[in-house]
Amino acid sequence: MTSHNLLFMLAVLSAVWAVMARKLLTSAIMLALVSVFASLILFDFNAPWAAVFELSVCAGLITVLFIAGVSLVRAEAERNPEGRAVFQALPLALAIFAIAAWYYVPAFFAGVSDWKLMAAPGGTIGSALWDVRRPDLLGQIVMLAAGVFVIKSIFPKKRPAAAEERTTK
Amino acid sequence: MSAFSLDWYFITLLIFVGLYGMLVSRSIIRQLIGLEIVSKAAMLAVISAGALTSNLMLAQALIITMIVVEVVVVAAGLALLVKAHRLSGSADIWKLDSLKG
Repeated sequence: MTSHNLLFMLAVLSAVWAVMARKLLTSAIMLALVSVFASLILFDFNAPWAAVFELSVCAGLITVLFIAGVSLVRAEAERNPEGRAVFQALPLALAIFAIAAWYYVPAFFAGVSDWKLMAAPGGTIGSALWDVRRPDLLGQIVMLAAGVFVIKSIFPKKRPAAAEERTTK
Repeated sequence: MSAFSLDWYFITLLIFVGLYGMLVSRSIIRQLIGLEIVSKAAMLAVISAGALTSNLMLAQALIITMIVVEVVVVAAGLALLVKAHRLSGSADIWKLDSLKG
């Protein structure tokens, strides 16, 4: 087994742990571990730019966001825990799926890889990002603006008149 | 067996784990964690296809876009969680029914 396959296996095991963990905080930390393994896989694929983004944004920023969310709802989640049986059935369900998929998925993708169209050699991440995928950058800006708009509309600023009315009632 | 097909086998397993987590849980946080696992699998699928066709630069550019979208989705989802928690005191998705017509 190569280190590449080992990293994929560790990513799957961390994902299983993230789903099965009883505590939400453990789930969030295991998700960060999935991101770390995904980032190592990206490094192994010789894709350092994507790996650095993945490590800093997904394993860093998103984990912080999740931990902030977990700290808000942890008390309520511990008061009303979910049934554990469906979570504990995950290894069994995954094992059945993995055995069934072993007979179909690799053979299917071996067939798919025969249709590959090789790209022209050369190019840099700069030319790919700024020249070839320029519309993506516009899409990213629109997405960020949409995210800001969503958060602003979910937490509207209270109007002074409405706030006053509420205090007089 | 080629490395590409083995990679995609593990990617399929990751997608299964993420979807299972989303299906069985009622907590908004666990739903988002399942979604994140599926999006990690999609990211690995993009880079694996890029490596197969010697197109790693384009695959990396797409992954950077995916990461930005992922952050916005998680931020919006957690904002929804905070609002739902303030209104109903719970992070249960079945209590997000105030938009029901």
